[in-house]
Amino acid sequence: MQVEASVSMATEQWFKLLQDAKKTAIIQDGNRKVHFLFENGKEFVEEYNLDTNVVVRRAWRKKGDLGQDLGWEVEIGDPEPNINAIDKLETAGIRESSSNPIVSRRITKTGLEWRIRNLNYPVDVYSVTAEDDGTITVRTSNKKYYKKLTVPDLERVGLRPEQDRLSFKHQYNTLIITYKKPPKLIELEKKIFEMVSKLKVNKDGDVQCPTK
Amino acid sequence: MSITASKVHEVREITRIERIGAHSHIRGLGLNDSLEARNVSQGMVGQFRARRATGVILEMIKEGKIAGRAVLLAGQPGTGKTAIAMGLAQSLGSDTPFTLMAGSEIYSLEMSKTEALTQAIRKSIGIRIKEESEIIEGEVVEIQIDRPVTGVGAKIGKLTLKTTEMETIYDLGNKMIDCLMKEKVQAGDVITIDKATGKISKLGRSFTRARDYDATGPQTRFVQCPEGELQKRKEVVHTVTLHEIDVINSRTHGFLALFSGDTGEIKPEVREQINMKVSEWREEGKADIVPGVLFIDEVHMLDIECFSFLNRALENEMAPVVIMATNRGITKIRGTSYKSPHGIPIDLLDRMIIVPTVPYQEAELKEILKIRCEEEDCEMSSDALLVLTRIANETSLRYAIQLITTSSLICRRNKTTEVSVDDVKRAYSLFLDENRSSQFLKEYQDDFMFYENEEHAMETN
Repeated sequence: MQVEASVSMATEQWFKLLQDAKKTAIIQDGNRKVHFLFENGKEFVEEYNLDTNVVVRRAWRKKGDLGQDLGWEVEIGDPEPNINAIDKLETAGIRESSSNPIVSRRITKTGLEWRIRNLNYPVDVYSVTAEDDGTITVRTSNKKYYKKLTVPDLERVGLRPEQDRLSFKHQYNTLIITYKKPPKLIELEKKIFEMVSKLKVNKDGDVQCPTK
Repeated sequence: MSITASKVHEVREITRIERIGAHSHIRGLGLNDSLEARNVSQGMVGQFRARRATGVILEMIKEGKIAGRAVLLAGQPGTGKTAIAMGLAQSLGSDTPFTLMAGSEIYSLEMSKTEALTQAIRKSIGIRIKEESEIIEGEVVEIQIDRPVTGVGAKIGKLTLKTTEMETIYDLGNKMIDCLMKEKVQAGDVITIDKATGKISKLGRSFTRARDYDATGPQTRFVQCPEGELQKRKEVVHTVTLHEIDVINSRTHGFLALFSGDTGEIKPEVREQINMKVSEWREEGKADIVPGVLFIDEVHMLDIECFSFLNRALENEMAPVVIMATNRGITKIRGTSYKSPHGIPIDLLDRMIIVPTVPYQEAELKEILKIRCEEEDCEMSSDALLVLTRIANETSLRYAIQLITTSSLICRRNKTTEVSVDDVKRAYSLFLDENRSSQFLKEYQDDFMFYENEEHAMETN
């Protein structure tokens, strides 16, 4: 019963945060793009595919503690191409080699998906487990790769990942992990989509989102 | 918090070729624990009272409670005012901001005088703040560095790190390669790298390598290979100045930044916002204020507007301790036709404590010249040093110091290792000091252009 209560509490909180945020919406390139500005100054962007109504991209604007702009952190979708990669190698002096595994996230109608590219070990090497700390952990028996994947979608509804909903497969050097969405999450997503789809849509063009 | 602070307080800079400046021999104020000045210490000689006074001020700055005090170092040219300020900067350590500027630096076409002064003041206030930063922690599996065949150009490097669970390959930039080489990082070491700043620290050697029979010193520390992911988020403490925060927040965002670049002037609203934010952080216990020192050399070059601005600025509770130095007597205040001691208005003088420096004694001059000889890597015979001391006494200390390297170059031409009296004499005859030069001008002024009696001369012609 208590778990039930905390779940609905967390759901309410996240929904209210989105509801209170200043929202700007446009339709561009076949996507409905929504920009949220929260009361605490954080910025957040979601993009929905017009045909499937599924989130294809979700990103947070990162700010440093001193107020410096750190660019966008992509939660769902392909990571931003890093134009300053060479520059960064000069200033910081270190960068992951491009041959290292890269994680990217996707959402489908029924599941949350992770794709880890550049992993060329056979399928029996991997183990993917739901952990008590709220992460999904990927391990390799040859000790080459290890990653704790956080699941912000589940955190927002106050749930922890469950092993039964987890599955993975390996093809084309890519490990694909799928987590079947729990009903609570589907419900929340539906509610959010309803809210978003009711927003007044700006014409495609030069739209300025509020940043302060 | 202080533990983390000292832990993160890392290696400052990598090997830099140091050039020898006028004050590079100074390493501190040369005081003992009871703030008594030692005779010759840390490159400082004589000036006991001024050094002692500065020591007291140092204590005040270290305590950090008193804001906006002004100190004036007054004395004849070449009596060690700048040296004392340098010594103070050295003994404050790297964590306390110390801004050094000359009075004439504020005159620029790009920003107003008061903006330059405000920036200088804000550069002298440090904020110690906790920030989350990404840290890579792992055991080195392999370092591979490729140098170009020609010997010049960028080096390319790859570093493989591992934990008990995983392994990752990193590309290395030039700076990082130098750092790794300087730290003598090799396979089997456990290291951490701060991803934002690129700072490396060596934690020790991995236990798995404990049986290697290579040259491990007795102080080698063995540590466990880290677990889990290579990249971790850690809270680190570092000091930034108020001015740096201003700059970060004042850059125009978006494509406009391409055209404007760094803003010369920072809007007062931005500063106000930052001040608010900083006091917020202070209340939350997220940040501490580290008041530093602003040193204005040749302060008589400031004009009346700047002085009145300083008057006001010193009253701010965020103001640093301002130390000024001047070698002027009673002279005109710049921008007015009024005369005042040191060329500084009386009301500002009244807010200052004044530390006088006095001319050096002959014995002290000798010590200073000896230190400079060492600093400039020049072996000098004791006779030559005596001659040089006499020159310093009769002309000036600065001129005598100029003769050190010149005479050592003359001596090297003569294939001898030790500078002799003759070498010094030779240098003395080759290069005029200020006195002899004026003498010469007075004697032969008729032959020069634009001399004072020119009109008179033309008439006679």
